[in-house]
Amino acid sequence: MRDRFCLSHWDRERLMQSRILAVLALVLASWLAGVKDSYADEFSREAAYRDRLLPLLRTYCFDCHSEDGAGEVTLDADDSAAKLQKNRKLWSRALGQVRLGTMPPADGDMMDATSRAVMIELIDELANSVDCVRNPNAGKVALRRLNRNEYRNTISDLTGVDYEQAEGFPGDDVGYGFDNIGDVLSLPPLLVEKYLDAAEFISGQAIYTPPPPQLYEIDRTAAKLINAEKYGSTSPLTLASAGTVSVEVDVPFAGDFVLTVTASGDQGGDEPCRMEVVSSKFKQVVDVPSKDAADYPIPMKLARGKRKIDISFINDFYVEGKIDRNLHIQHVNLKGEEKRLQFTAPEKLPASHKSILFVEPSKKVPVEQATQTVVARLASRAFRRPATKSEVERLCNLAAVVRKDGGSYEEGVQVALQAILVSPHFIYRVEQPPKTAPGEATQRVTQYELATRISYFLWSSMPDDELLLLAHRGELNDRKKLLEKVGRMMMDGRANQFVENFAGQWLQLRNLDNVKPDPTRFRGFDDSTRELMERETLTFFAGVMRKNMPVTALLDADFTYLNEDLAKYYGINGVTGEEFRPVSLTGTRRGGLLTHASVLTVTSNPSRTSPVKRGKWILENLLNTPPPPAPPNVPELEKGKLVGTLRERMEQHRANPACAACHSVMDQLGFAMENFDAVGRWRNNDGKEVIDASGELPDGSRFNGVDELKRLLSVERREQFVRCLAEKMLIYAIGRGTEYYDKCAIDKIMADTKSHDYKFAYLLAAIIESDPFQRIGHREESL
Amino acid sequence: MPRSISRRSVLRGLGTAVALPLLDVMSPTRLLSAAAADTAAPIRMGFFFVPNGMHMPDWTPSNEGKGFDLKPTLARLADHKNDINVLTGLSLDGASAHGDGGGDHARAVAAFLTGAHPRKTNGADIQNGISVDQATAELVGQATRFGSLELGLEMSSQAGNCDSGYSCAYASNMSWRGPTNPVAKEVDPGAVFDRLFAGQTVKETRQAKSVREKYRKSILDFVLDDAKQLHRELPAVDQRKLDEYLYSVRDVEKRVAGADRLHISEDGVPDYPRPSGVPKEFSKHSELMMDMVTLAFQTDSTRILSFMFTNAGSNRSYPEVGISEGHHELSHHGKSEHKQEGIATINRFHMDRFNYLLSRMKQVREGDRTLLENCMLVYGSGISDGDRHNHDDLPILLAGAAGGRIETGRHIRYENGTPLCNLYTWMMQQMGAKVDKFGDSNGVLKL
Repeated sequence: MRDRFCLSHWDRERLMQSRILAVLALVLASWLAGVKDSYADEFSREAAYRDRLLPLLRTYCFDCHSEDGAGEVTLDADDSAAKLQKNRKLWSRALGQVRLGTMPPADGDMMDATSRAVMIELIDELANSVDCVRNPNAGKVALRRLNRNEYRNTISDLTGVDYEQAEGFPGDDVGYGFDNIGDVLSLPPLLVEKYLDAAEFISGQAIYTPPPPQLYEIDRTAAKLINAEKYGSTSPLTLASAGTVSVEVDVPFAGDFVLTVTASGDQGGDEPCRMEVVSSKFKQVVDVPSKDAADYPIPMKLARGKRKIDISFINDFYVEGKIDRNLHIQHVNLKGEEKRLQFTAPEKLPASHKSILFVEPSKKVPVEQATQTVVARLASRAFRRPATKSEVERLCNLAAVVRKDGGSYEEGVQVALQAILVSPHFIYRVEQPPKTAPGEATQRVTQYELATRISYFLWSSMPDDELLLLAHRGELNDRKKLLEKVGRMMMDGRANQFVENFAGQWLQLRNLDNVKPDPTRFRGFDDSTRELMERETLTFFAGVMRKNMPVTALLDADFTYLNEDLAKYYGINGVTGEEFRPVSLTGTRRGGLLTHASVLTVTSNPSRTSPVKRGKWILENLLNTPPPPAPPNVPELEKGKLVGTLRERMEQHRANPACAACHSVMDQLGFAMENFDAVGRWRNNDGKEVIDASGELPDGSRFNGVDELKRLLSVERREQFVRCLAEKMLIYAIGRGTEYYDKCAIDKIMADTKSHDYKFAYLLAAIIESDPFQRIGHREESL
Repeated sequence: MPRSISRRSVLRGLGTAVALPLLDVMSPTRLLSAAAADTAAPIRMGFFFVPNGMHMPDWTPSNEGKGFDLKPTLARLADHKNDINVLTGLSLDGASAHGDGGGDHARAVAAFLTGAHPRKTNGADIQNGISVDQATAELVGQATRFGSLELGLEMSSQAGNCDSGYSCAYASNMSWRGPTNPVAKEVDPGAVFDRLFAGQTVKETRQAKSVREKYRKSILDFVLDDAKQLHRELPAVDQRKLDEYLYSVRDVEKRVAGADRLHISEDGVPDYPRPSGVPKEFSKHSELMMDMVTLAFQTDSTRILSFMFTNAGSNRSYPEVGISEGHHELSHHGKSEHKQEGIATINRFHMDRFNYLLSRMKQVREGDRTLLENCMLVYGSGISDGDRHNHDDLPILLAGAAGGRIETGRHIRYENGTPLCNLYTWMMQQMGAKVDKFGDSNGVLKL
């Protein structure tokens, strides 16, 4: 999994590591304090309420939402910015309605788009304003379960076992765009079953023990014995005169077996019924003295292979009318257990075995002590904090029970490991509950919890020993040490997991698998193209990160990573071989995410491009302004009304004012990318029509083609883009959606990042240093 | 002749001779179910969801009662016309906006089996209702190894927004054990097979187990203790999460303890190859899954089951039937004939998969009935017309006769707006649950 894309240029870039680290530590030391808020002081807030918001509320809301209005909700009682903020819950609900467009209602005064935007901004600023100086809430993530990727990576780092079967765990649901959100990750019984299976498998792989002995068992009802037909093929089978029935077996291993014949006898004369059991050299006579059926066990040694076992009635006795001695056979059972090998040559043991069982019991080290030492280390790594004395003790007790039942030292540890892997302390990332009340200064998470937050953010896995050691020494509060470690982690191969899981979801690359371009229209696109596209974007993202470029390079870089097949697909010459490598795009039409085939394909329909989807993708993922859903019951367009090119048809569609508000942005952004077809290839024409890639936004900004769109986003809208990226990354890092009180933290992250030219490492560092990441606050009741 | 035989001998003698229900379609297979052998066959309930609504002109029969006419979509079930009832006029009020704006697809899935109106959230404070399958399993699911099974053909969404501010948990799960607990579905037929049958045959339970396997029960006890202690230390928001853990571990523990309840004899291993992997073709994948549904019911491993063809608002294309456009995209047909035909084609394709299931179930005899007759299988969508996103006049059919309790082969028209939950309440009662209300029901549907 970790190598879904690999960086061949990796080692070269590793050299840059030390340089970046040095810079990080040096420059980050001059941290910016405080951030200017446009509505920071009370006076300007009250003025904003009085002069700007109040007139709008009067026009659009108070008719109904006042003391004597018809609406259930009263808004006019809050007649100052301060009251608005105090009554945040109510106003957030109102804000939601205005955002959705459900208020003001359709039968009232039509609110124009600009007024709506202004109203939204003002309510948001005033009701949701946070005092960044007075202990803003750091928020509280819900107990986070490891998701599939995190589980697999953690298992691998903990035990050395790559548990591929984790792919078959039920899908982790997504919230806020990511699959690592505590609130959303649930744990159905199905998953516990899978955890149990996994724990058993993994402990068996990580710690070697000889396989269990084979068991062999066959059952034959009497009617199925060889020669039974001579006696009527019944069960029970009656041998009324001397004779033999047999069972044929194919014994898989040599060993001690027990043949159990269930039989009874009609007795008579001076001796009991007798049967003789013969197999090769084995021969034994067995008395069957009872007239009731009973089991007659006959131990025997058998060699491997096919053989016949004969059961004969040997003492028939008959006196007409007086005595009739007969043998009845009900059933035959043969059972044996293989002798098991106890010794395994040390060179056959897997590496994980030796590293987990780093102490072996010996004359000097009793088995209890060895178990204790080994289990304490294992549990501490698995729980990402020192295991408590009682935890270790209970695990050792579990192992002791196994040994008491005849299990070995290794088997005892295996079972303890299983318990560790199913324990809530492993499955969940447990954090100490907050001890401070809302409004008080929030407390820092513990050092171990911080280490865990960092490693799951950057590696989607458990902390390594170095990070745990820093935590153990309390050195994660030392900014220099922290940032140095973060720098090393960013350069570590494990950070590819951040790229795959964060970028893969942020850019919606994971949805590429579900996009099925029409093969008749788009020849040359197949599953391997799909994979190469994804690899390009992930490798590119990793490149920008590891070169510590400004994050805006994601939009306007003049290079990418290609291999021969993908270069050909793009029509770029001079790239040979399967390996991905950096390729300069100077003089080509490409560069930046907006020109990546992955992005262009994932935002297209199977049969054509979709400027709407592309525009929506930009609004959601690059600008953090997701358009509201289409209003319900859009008046149906009369059939046949839409004619002309795709652009013309969309323009007609937009003529409807209900659609225009959003589509005048979405479509325009999307048009700029029209020179790329639905699978990301350059085109000058769409059918017969020459592509018109120009667009204009409601604020008057114009652009023509993807280059100008790129500039718009990476230069003119740079703040907005970086803020969007920062907020998404923060969500991914802290495992919860951002709330209004996170505004202070995001402002600070922005300021820190900006002061370092938006360089990637500083964004990561600023997120890790932010309060929501470092501290634990509390939940605010949902609305 | 012996006068009497020890119990063990009798069991041995009979070991392979007990009359086993014959699974004709997969013969020569013999399965032994815990309950089916001696008592009357149980009644089962299943719920089958398809996304994006239906092309209604191809669905709703024009006349009522027996002898209704089969429109093109329902015509795919022509062979089973007398085994189904088409129920028109049922509605899902919880899926409507109620001031929450867009997101009808996610809401339609979340409400489909709950009748609840899910809270609009991307993650924090997820809130829905309990679903009919889970509620029924809670009340009467103890008789079988699995109180319920949750199956589907599409994994949870992997990225992005699922639907207008609704977390993907709503869009990907229609079974909810509690208001905050979606129950994930299994999409791999091989994994379902293992869940149902691994270690369940006499032969396998007789096999030597590794030490690791022997201590499952102890491990579950151990982690339960861990969880209980942890529970005391955590704030409420985390306790809710840990409650899920506690519930799930206890549920699994019950199954580990009762692992010997389903005895499939040595010769009675389902003679059905363990499916491996998820086939790429939708039809093959669904065929395997439908076989699993049949096997699960037939072996009485469960009596309650939910099945999502795809997730809410699925936009997958169906190249198998020549549909290269996305399903969701087509469903916003704007009265375009081309798009409506596309939707109808997908509707028929899904219905063919359901038809396959009904055929399978009909081939399984249970006493003097078929398995299908002993079932109540709801098939339908939480949206009626995909273009209008309306949640009334839903396309709903009920296959099976609930063990002969209802007459089949009819089209019944209810007053539009009748809660779908009225049907569920009736179904719960047939399962033996003593309820007179479920979800937003305002009565019990008359069938």
